[in-house]
Amino acid sequence: MNIEHTYTFKGIPREVIWRTIQDKEVLQRALPGCKSFVEVAEDAFASELGISIGPVKGIFTGDVRQVDKNEPESYRLLVKGKGKPGEIDADANMFLEEIEEGTRLQCSAEVKLTGVLASVGQRVMSGVAKVVLGQFFKEIDKEAKQLV
Amino acid sequence: MGNEKVNVTVKINGNEKRAEVEPRTLLAHFIRDNLGLTGTHIGCDTSQCGACTVLVDGQAVKSCTLLTVQADGSEITTVEGLGQVGNLHPMQQSFWEKHGLQCGYCTPGVMMAAVGLLQQNPNPSDEEIREGLEGVICRCTGYQFIVDAVKHAAQLMRETEAEVQLVGEERL
Amino acid sequence: MTKVVGTRLKRKEDPKLITGHGSFADDIQLPGMLHAAVLRSPHAHAVIKKINVEEALKVPGVVAIYTGKDLEGKIGPVPTSWYVPDCDLKEAPQYPLAIDRVRYVGDGVALVIAEGRYAVKDAMYLIDVEYETLSPAVGQKESLKDNAPLVHDDIENNLAFHWKAGTVPEEVCEKAEASVKQSFYVQRVAPSPIETRAAIGRYNPGTGELTLWCTSQNPHIHRMVLSEVLDITEAKLRVISPDMGGGFGGKIGVYPDEALVGFAARDLCRPVKWIEERSEHFTAANFGRDEVIDVEIYGQKDGTITALRVTNTHNVGAYLSTMGPGVSTIDFGLMITGIYKIPYASCETFGVYTNTTPTDAYRGAGKPESTYQIERAIDLFAKEIGMDPVEIRRINMAQKEDFPFTNAQGLVYDSGDYEKPLTKALEMVDYQKFREEQKELRKRGKLVGIGFSTYVELCGFGPSKVAGGIGFQGGIWENATVRVHPRGSVTVYCGTSPHGQGHATTFGQIVSEKLGIPMDDIELVFSDTKSVSMGWGTYGSRSVAVGGSSVAIAADRVIDKAKKIAAHELEVSVEEIVFEEGIFSVKGSPSLQRTFKEIAKSANMAWNLPEGIEPSLEASSYFDPENFVYPFGTHIAVVEVDKETGQIELKRYVAVDDVGRVINPLTAEGQVHGGLAQGIGQALWEGIVYSKDGQNLTGTFMDYAMPKARFFPKFETAFTETLSPVNPIGAKGVGETGTTASTPAIMNAVMDALEPYGIKDIEMPLTPEKVWRAISESEGK
Repeated sequence: MNIEHTYTFKGIPREVIWRTIQDKEVLQRALPGCKSFVEVAEDAFASELGISIGPVKGIFTGDVRQVDKNEPESYRLLVKGKGKPGEIDADANMFLEEIEEGTRLQCSAEVKLTGVLASVGQRVMSGVAKVVLGQFFKEIDKEAKQLV
Repeated sequence: MGNEKVNVTVKINGNEKRAEVEPRTLLAHFIRDNLGLTGTHIGCDTSQCGACTVLVDGQAVKSCTLLTVQADGSEITTVEGLGQVGNLHPMQQSFWEKHGLQCGYCTPGVMMAAVGLLQQNPNPSDEEIREGLEGVICRCTGYQFIVDAVKHAAQLMRETEAEVQLVGEERL
Repeated sequence: MTKVVGTRLKRKEDPKLITGHGSFADDIQLPGMLHAAVLRSPHAHAVIKKINVEEALKVPGVVAIYTGKDLEGKIGPVPTSWYVPDCDLKEAPQYPLAIDRVRYVGDGVALVIAEGRYAVKDAMYLIDVEYETLSPAVGQKESLKDNAPLVHDDIENNLAFHWKAGTVPEEVCEKAEASVKQSFYVQRVAPSPIETRAAIGRYNPGTGELTLWCTSQNPHIHRMVLSEVLDITEAKLRVISPDMGGGFGGKIGVYPDEALVGFAARDLCRPVKWIEERSEHFTAANFGRDEVIDVEIYGQKDGTITALRVTNTHNVGAYLSTMGPGVSTIDFGLMITGIYKIPYASCETFGVYTNTTPTDAYRGAGKPESTYQIERAIDLFAKEIGMDPVEIRRINMAQKEDFPFTNAQGLVYDSGDYEKPLTKALEMVDYQKFREEQKELRKRGKLVGIGFSTYVELCGFGPSKVAGGIGFQGGIWENATVRVHPRGSVTVYCGTSPHGQGHATTFGQIVSEKLGIPMDDIELVFSDTKSVSMGWGTYGSRSVAVGGSSVAIAADRVIDKAKKIAAHELEVSVEEIVFEEGIFSVKGSPSLQRTFKEIAKSANMAWNLPEGIEPSLEASSYFDPENFVYPFGTHIAVVEVDKETGQIELKRYVAVDDVGRVINPLTAEGQVHGGLAQGIGQALWEGIVYSKDGQNLTGTFMDYAMPKARFFPKFETAFTETLSPVNPIGAKGVGETGTTASTPAIMNAVMDALEPYGIKDIEMPLTPEKVWRAISESEGK
């Protein structure tokens, strides 16, 4: 399943967004439902997320990794999560682009789901992902504004 | 895990029952496993099929959508309380006469849903019955004889009610 | 006594079911009973690296956890029961729990046993399995390609079997004045009985007897297969099918889960219950259909069809199910020409392994698919040459005088009169008037259409020698024992195993009419291998034709013996005894008589029996019919398509079926209705959809569109009665006519409605989106 999402950070320069989005403490605060977020190696984190997709709710434990970093333009975010309702395997390309209004972040992800998440969640997943990503970027937006 | 047991009291088919249950116990499981009333069936795990429909305080409710603790203090009617052989409820009588069941697994839930429907609309058209049974799934009958049965039950119930009124008036 | 067979009797089985006194599997409670749950693979294809059960074992109440490795050598693979010959069939062993590799989402990985239904799930979720995922093979056509992932490493191109029947000479095709080629997909659907599967095992270590209650349409087949899987003699294994909430083919299969429950009960010496959840059912219970059917139909401009070439590419799933291999070969391939006298026909079937849940028989099994392709193809051919769909059917169909009729693939149809139901259905729908109205409505931009399905199906499985010839691992005869008790009531033991069809009523009617005793005096026993000597199950619309016939023959034998006793008591010869409506009387002296009850007592007391007559009044029959039966009929659908939304409204549905002798018109109509709902469901709403990763995206009743009451108009049904000569009742079979006939009738009606747009085919199910897109695309052209 493909998930595309775009968010515009108004009046915030690209470098600031990059810095914010790489800050592990900010990430922990901004990730919805994040219960723990521990750096296990450079750019690799072990996390625990509470996710609620329609009728499927659960705690997911997983690995988050950032690879192919090309500061400040792009990076790849790899997320592998596992919980009662099934497993999530996401490979997201994040692009940051300077535009007149500020910075546009484009996220393009290939997401694989298993278990109940797949059979029940798939239909609502793209909608829910948009909500979750929207919340996440809004938080990043708030955090970044403090740095401007 | 918050699994300390909770006391509940329900009145089921006219009998008061007290029990200790895990807070997560579904009403459907409580009725079947704790109270031993196995006429109420379970057909899915997403509250679509309606096989587990019972009356809670007179309302048709899918008993898999309620926790037992939510039904604490309520009055519940299951298919066993609807009527028994020798004293069938008009709905049961009609399902039998009109061949409204085949495997009989969804039947208790469908009858309870239909009883709920007739409470709201005592004289429904075929179309209203079909719409009114949106909450239940039957895989055997193709629904046609269920519709006939509900219609017949409605007629029987209206007749009985008219008789009761007549008798009442005579007494006056 | 009035006539019993042919009357609309209320069912014997209903009082318990309408008052909550049925006994379904989950209603069974045994002392000390444990609950079982199967942890299933979330991946379509993966290597099992490690299974950690440590945390799960800590859950209070957990008694045991087994993995595939734990069971190695202790429990055998579950085999298919249909080794179709001459098709290079390759069976991959299906172990009850996957050992090192999972091959579909739903493949069993671990069995958890615990006290209570909640604890068992708590523990199941704590089992940690490490997988290394592999690329899955999902669709059948792609999975056949050279570069496709292999489901089983040693089975090349995932080809489970390659079967052929019939030939079409090239020159016949070359000489044809017209031809149509079309590919159809008869999509995967879920039988979806409202009761899911279940199994309860109880082992007595003292006697060594294992009792298994399970949701089986064929308990004796379960006993035969599981006795091998569990390595226990059939004499020590008792299989009981309790009351069952439907089957529709989904409960024919002998499943790994049932073997696991039997194993655990024996291993732990405690009763074990497993109740499948609905979401589990959508990954682990066999589905139906999933066949890509490529058709070429050839003929002349006068409407004569001269040849039919069919290729079926069948997605069998990850393993061969109990009846899976027979569905797309024997059941489908020998019936491809339907009711038509097509001189040449050929069928080539590819059975393809994929990383999906296995497919097996689903109501009709092969015949709905064969009917679909021929009834759609003949419509397309008619359109090609500009002929009316009714006319082309009349030109090509076998005529009354052609029976017994041999079709192009060599099957001999028992009896038929195809014009009769066609004429009746046309009258009921008022065809000419409809066409006139359609013209008017089309002028006003309304899209209405009419669709036909003039079908025949093969059912009533025996004879057994044919079963042997086609590789089916069973006999297909039936047995019945009619036992008359001293005070005159009767118990009938029957081999077939009902699950909603109403056998107790219809078989009771047969006995009641034969013996002249009331229905209430007759009890029927089914579905327990310890009480019933043998039985081959309820599927293939065989129960009345084979099982009912067996009951009738056994009842006749009871009468024969009773006549001898009556003759002895009345001091006349047997030839002088007439038996009518429960009374044995002497020809010409009707006052000399004995009632059935009196003879029942005489026979059982045995105080005064004629020479050579043994005590008791009981007879058995083991009936193996000489041929299959071939019910037929005409179904007509009338639809309206909303061109703005693509929504289809089913306006009318007329079904005229000829199922031979109808024992009980009420239950027969019920069977037709139920079949229609499922067949129409296939055309319009239902369908299992897999993602390219092999995940079932339609795994609940929220996503899988089960038909609801408001989806249907009132069905208009009727029967014609052309008796079958191959059984003593003259019955054919009614259970599968609805699913067999209705799917193409609906499709043909929608295509007729869409004719103004030149749309020839849309893949099922006909969701509004697909129909709307087809209309939009054709408007854009």
